[in-house]
Amino acid sequence: MTRPALLVALACAFALGTVVSGSVRVGSAASLNLSSQNLTPYLTCVITATPSTTSAVTDATVDEANPTTNLAAATTLTVATKSGSNGRAYIKFSLSGCTPSIPSSATLRAATLRVYVSATQPGCQTIDVFPVASSWTEAGITWNNQPFGTTVNNPASGSRTASFDAGSGGCANNPGSYISGADVSADVAAFISGSATNYGWMLRNDSESATPPRTVTFSAKDLGTLSQAPQLIVTYVTTP
Amino acid sequence: MRRLGVLLLASALCGVTVGSAASLALATQGLGAAHLTVPRCTSGGLGVLPNLAGTSVISVTVRSLPGACGGATIQVAVNNGSDSSSGSDTVAGGGGSVTVALANLVPATTTEQIDIVLVGP
Repeated sequence: MTRPALLVALACAFALGTVVSGSVRVGSAASLNLSSQNLTPYLTCVITATPSTTSAVTDATVDEANPTTNLAAATTLTVATKSGSNGRAYIKFSLSGCTPSIPSSATLRAATLRVYVSATQPGCQTIDVFPVASSWTEAGITWNNQPFGTTVNNPASGSRTASFDAGSGGCANNPGSYISGADVSADVAAFISGSATNYGWMLRNDSESATPPRTVTFSAKDLGTLSQAPQLIVTYVTTP
Repeated sequence: MRRLGVLLLASALCGVTVGSAASLALATQGLGAAHLTVPRCTSGGLGVLPNLAGTSVISVTVRSLPGACGGATIQVAVNNGSDSSSGSDTVAGGGGSVTVALANLVPATTTEQIDIVLVGP
């Protein structure tokens, strides 16, 4: 090798040393990539109707037999099917209390509504869960002014977000326990992204004004019992 | 003088390579960020349920873990805004559910944040 060629080779080797250093960074990045592929971070916000005075959760029953009476202070949420005396439950969870706040760009992985079945009558009853499309207040809602109006079996069962059975015997959700959970993921995803406003949900019997009459009651916020309080559990990721 | 000239010339020529290396490093960082979107052991919905002991969260049950997460280490942290605790466990081979006990009780409040990280497998 001639001397000039040797010098060129040495200079290139020096420069390549930097390249090797660069490759160390590449190696580190590759390691990071490997780690990030194997990390699955989930964030969950649990909203619980506790204490009974919290404003983060609002709930109330509306009763066809008492159409102008506000029943928000009741310790139970009553869903009833009986001609002239149907009952529905309204419940809303404020997502703004989550810390950290859920970004609108978050990808929802699951949202589950949990209510505690305090009493039922024999036989399974199907309870439908509908997203509410207009505002209501805990202190003001009645059968007559409820967002879904006073027509029974409205909205149609087909537009429900979720449903669950409740009752004694062979039902999936027995009295004295939480329901296994109503999947309200689609609604909460819309609330988070801003494509829908969070007015909560309405629970009604799948068949109102049915015979024989049936009632399912759930523990309300006002019962003040933590182990039976309504809950919304929202699980999301900030990186898809 | 001639040697110095050759050295400078060679360095300049190889400097292009150095420049490429720097660009490569940046590009790799970009690739690293892109790799964050690569599916991990699950991208599905997990059932997360805080378990109470009295008025405090004592553990967290994570359900619907797919078999692909079997063998992973699951780390759970609960924070109610003023108190926090964490714990970890191993996901069973077939996935399913796992209840992770917290090191300390966390008083239940209106809102709690539960962070879950699956590491591996």
